[in-house]
Amino acid sequence: MTAPSLPSSRADADLLRPLRATVWITACLAALAVLLLVVTHHRAHAHDPLKSPELAALKQRLLDEPRNEELKQQIRDLDLALRRSHSRLLNFYAFGRWLLLGSSVSFVLSAKAWGKLHARPPAPRLSPDAAERFTRLVRLARLTASTTALCTLIALTAIVVAATSPLPSAATDPEKLLARLRGEALEVPPLPPLAEFAANWPRFLGPAGNAFTPVAPEPLTFDAASGDGLLWKVSLSSPGFNSPIIWGNRVFLSGGDAARRSVAAFDLATGQRVWEQAVTGVPGSPAKAPEIPESTGFAASTMATDGLRVYAIFANGDLAAFTLDGRPVWSKHLGVPQNQYGHANSLAVWEGRVIVQLDQGDADAGLSKLIAFDGASGRVAWQVPRKVPESWASPIVVEAAGRAQIITLAGEFVIAHSAGDGAELWRVQELHGEIAPSPIFAGGFVLAVSPNDKLMAIRPDGLGEVTKTHVVWHADDGIPDVTSPVSNGELVFLVTSYGLLSCFDVSSGKKLWEHECDTDVHATPAVAGKRVYVLGGKGKVVVVEAARELKELATFDLGEAIFASPAFRDGRMVIRTAKSLLCVGTPPATASGGTSP
Amino acid sequence: MSHPAPNPSSVSRRQFLREGMRLAAMTGAGAFVGLSSGRTGAREHYVWQIDPTKCVYCGNCATACVLKPSAVKCVQAYEICGYCDLCTGYFVPEPNALNTGAENQVCPTAAIERKFIEDPYYEYNIIESRCIGCAKCVEGCTRFGNGSFYLQVRHDRCVNCNECSIARVCAGDAFRRVPASNPYFLKTSAH
Amino acid sequence: MRALFPRSLFPALMGLLAALAGAASEMRFPPPEFETDYTMPGITTPPPRSLAMEYVDTALLVTALGLAAWLVHRRRSRRGLVALSVFSLVYFGFIRTGCICPIGAPQNVALGMFDPGYTIPLTALAFFLVPLVFSLFWGRTFCAAVCPHGALQDLVLIKPVKVPLWIEQGLGIVPFIFLGLGIWLAATGTAFIICRYDAFIPLFRMNGSVFGLALGGIFLAAALFIGRPFCRFLCPYGALLRLGSIVSRKAVRITPDYCTQCRLCEHSCPFGAIREPVKLPVTPNALAPERRRLTWLILALPVLIAGGAWLGSKLSVAAAKMHPTVALAEQFLAGDKAPAPATALPTPETRALGRAAETAPELIAAASEVRRRLGIGGWWFGGWVGLVIGARLISLSLRPNRTDFEPDRGACYACGRCYLACPNERVRVGLITPAEAAALQAHAPVPRPDVKTS
Repeated sequence: MTAPSLPSSRADADLLRPLRATVWITACLAALAVLLLVVTHHRAHAHDPLKSPELAALKQRLLDEPRNEELKQQIRDLDLALRRSHSRLLNFYAFGRWLLLGSSVSFVLSAKAWGKLHARPPAPRLSPDAAERFTRLVRLARLTASTTALCTLIALTAIVVAATSPLPSAATDPEKLLARLRGEALEVPPLPPLAEFAANWPRFLGPAGNAFTPVAPEPLTFDAASGDGLLWKVSLSSPGFNSPIIWGNRVFLSGGDAARRSVAAFDLATGQRVWEQAVTGVPGSPAKAPEIPESTGFAASTMATDGLRVYAIFANGDLAAFTLDGRPVWSKHLGVPQNQYGHANSLAVWEGRVIVQLDQGDADAGLSKLIAFDGASGRVAWQVPRKVPESWASPIVVEAAGRAQIITLAGEFVIAHSAGDGAELWRVQELHGEIAPSPIFAGGFVLAVSPNDKLMAIRPDGLGEVTKTHVVWHADDGIPDVTSPVSNGELVFLVTSYGLLSCFDVSSGKKLWEHECDTDVHATPAVAGKRVYVLGGKGKVVVVEAARELKELATFDLGEAIFASPAFRDGRMVIRTAKSLLCVGTPPATASGGTSP
Repeated sequence: MSHPAPNPSSVSRRQFLREGMRLAAMTGAGAFVGLSSGRTGAREHYVWQIDPTKCVYCGNCATACVLKPSAVKCVQAYEICGYCDLCTGYFVPEPNALNTGAENQVCPTAAIERKFIEDPYYEYNIIESRCIGCAKCVEGCTRFGNGSFYLQVRHDRCVNCNECSIARVCAGDAFRRVPASNPYFLKTSAH
Repeated sequence: MRALFPRSLFPALMGLLAALAGAASEMRFPPPEFETDYTMPGITTPPPRSLAMEYVDTALLVTALGLAAWLVHRRRSRRGLVALSVFSLVYFGFIRTGCICPIGAPQNVALGMFDPGYTIPLTALAFFLVPLVFSLFWGRTFCAAVCPHGALQDLVLIKPVKVPLWIEQGLGIVPFIFLGLGIWLAATGTAFIICRYDAFIPLFRMNGSVFGLALGGIFLAAALFIGRPFCRFLCPYGALLRLGSIVSRKAVRITPDYCTQCRLCEHSCPFGAIREPVKLPVTPNALAPERRRLTWLILALPVLIAGGAWLGSKLSVAAAKMHPTVALAEQFLAGDKAPAPATALPTPETRALGRAAETAPELIAAASEVRRRLGIGGWWFGGWVGLVIGARLISLSLRPNRTDFEPDRGACYACGRCYLACPNERVRVGLITPAEAAALQAHAPVPRPDVKTS
């Protein structure tokens, strides 16, 4: 009679040594397998052959040197080596797994056998009082159970306290949040009435898009150097060819270069800079700005406002919205616009939506589109593709023929889209060249300029292709290539890049007069009351009377180059020069009171 | 006294309690079966699959699967393939030349085979043993082509985890449980 | 050449946001009409494991359970149980890679009960219920030799170290809490944490995340010296089987005959499940404090449940973070305030955020709904935690009534190790003669628990 597991026999004793050796060897093998797997995994994780930065760098280099055959061979060799090392890695994992499994199983088996030879038979000892032991045991167990329970409760409480979430918890809050995200007006103030829109200068070339304001600023002449006739003047730090816009007592403009794009607001009364916000961290925007010709720059597009927010777009494709007091609302990257000179189409707004004419590339590329973003949320309200090439004209939104229409120029076409859903309403195929002058709406006609070619008037009540039926008149004398036409509703004024100012009758297209301003002009002129302001590229300002007969009122030198079109409100004129922003007007004490139209 | 007589009342009470609880547990299990019978699909079990319309080709399929390499592979829906010479799933953006050189291929493991069929058509096949499910080709094909390359869970590889670890991190929320009788999303026409 | 685009436009295209490029692609290039006799290959669709094989699994499970019950209660054969364990380990473990296993099945059942879009597969229901029903009749026969997790730990046990019973009993509430947590999160469709933190599935697959494999390795290394650490301290399904086993019709008996109190079996159980006979004094002095404690604990139980439920309902904010929808919504809303730094290359995160931006209202609504449901479930989960704590404290305040050395009904895994430790059993199977057994018992000091009480 023996206990079953004593190493009693010689055979068992002989087994002990080799068994012990097996236990050690298999244990070491298993440990080695684990170590190898861990090290390999760590190294593969740090240098994933399939994410090799060297290969990416070589491929990038090939873009610059497309004919470098040696480089190609280098890429192929490296690619092959990397793929080989990837496959070696997978094979090694497979090998390591089986090595680990095999060695572990042998270890457990030999260790168990070894342990069995070493096992001692049970030798029960006389135990003290079982009842007392039991009582002590359950007391301790109650203590550990209570401790575990307490730890659990403390942990749960800590989790409850620590957990915070941007997701609102109360039942009503999600509704508000959803409303905000949907852009619904729960607490959102309603859009300002149209009258207020008309009293401000909410976009490029004013509320109606024809650069007209009924009240002319006083005095007639002004000078940047001396400050004569100016209410204020501030210098600008950020470059940009965009024109200022005005809402209430704020002037907004954007500026930027490859390094930084920003939006700034100035006080209309004092010129004091109220806020400036950089447009950064736009999701998806490339870290390295694209190359944009300096003649256009990153901030050629004029901003727009709906009276609640201001919107700005930059040539790198960033679109941003801010509240009037400068709080960022949303920003989006629309992809870098493919535009040889840089994106310059200004923004338009309509019923709380911001409209982006994103024309780019060739007509065949199908990249161009017209997008309406919800102003509150930045969500795309609608977007329509446009089979047109890149363009530089700004869209206008007009109420005509009982429809809200977005008038756009690009390539060979004047195209009107429905403002509600972007559907195309009508088109005229009569443009040529690089389309920079923007369309205007005057005297019931859409006026469009084919650069250096002709001015045409189109009745906006057509549907479909209306080239043959709706073009009312043409004019082909003194046609600009960059600046847009302007109008007071009765007369149309055009100024060419070399300074020839022409006046046409809007209803007939008959040329009434022309005037040589004798300066190069890059900025669209403006009509204020009875005056036409022509702002020259070198700072020469020519003021003529907005009348059927030519009458020059003044010619003087501002002293600073001008590339942007002026903005007006309440008898004040805000001009952006190359270096500064200045305001023409008389101080409030002597100002002639309210001037809303 | 080595076999102390058990306290008969205590034992029978415990016995009774135990019997009663067992009976209650059995009744509970029966009730549970009855209750769940309405919620049980005798003929169905579920497997994981990717809805290609929701896939945003984020690349998580290659890294998040419990299997290395992943059980998700790219598949080719030949029916909707354009057989393009310049295949946006096969070639990198701005390819140097339209050939099979490593510098032109988007696939990091060269798992796509390009085969000339007739001018100007090329057939593209996925070599599944090499595919790691990184979706680089899927992105090119879906965004600029017909979308004939798309990711699917391959059920000869998938171990069908109770909780798919890719589904947990899927950027497009494209993973779902589908009946095992119909385990693939088949693209017959592009959407 | 069939060029898609002028090549110079490619970078621009790649730069466009997917949303703007049009997430849905049309048939941009009509499939060609071939002039040669080219036959178009078909898309291959390797099928998943067939339903028939799932039924085979179920049948194997039932057979293995029956066999285990027979081996435990009729054959009383440790060797048979080891053989069955090896089979279960190989088949349910390494071949079937532990999926679907009963341990995770409560989650499927819970999800099926509460998610109308998910019907419980019959096999999952069977895997959940059959071992439970078996436990009501024959104890934890599933744990004994059918569960691959248990089999793996049981088979690798080399030198068991005794874990003090008071630690084990104190930590015994953890599996129950884990079970409640798993069911709560699964029922709300939040996560399958029982599967996520399963220690051994990655080992069975010989593949998986570093975390999963490391967890498995740690538990396996511990299992060399601590008997079944996962089963004892974590397994949520084991918690259910424990309850079933407590009221089971048949329980493991160490001796086939009568207990001679020789104590030879006392240390044969590596899981600390064998309890010695104890008879507590029945004097008023001893009884009064025990009764008082019991009364207090029973009165405290509803308070614990209510407190736990209240605390549980507050857990929804934290728990919801595990749900992918909520996690994305929170990331999106947090990003609303502080926009993420711009990067040129999209990452999975930016792509997910892009989707969030496109579907924000739906996403927020879905996330709020998940949290609401977790809040409701949280009451139940918290209540369950309170109940588990209270019930454990009550059970630790009850008087035992044991006259023989016998396994604790709940803790016994029916592994059969103790059988051959009993001289009477050795006589029964013919290993030794009754005389040898008597001699063995004579070596053992026989305590007299009944007379040593004070």
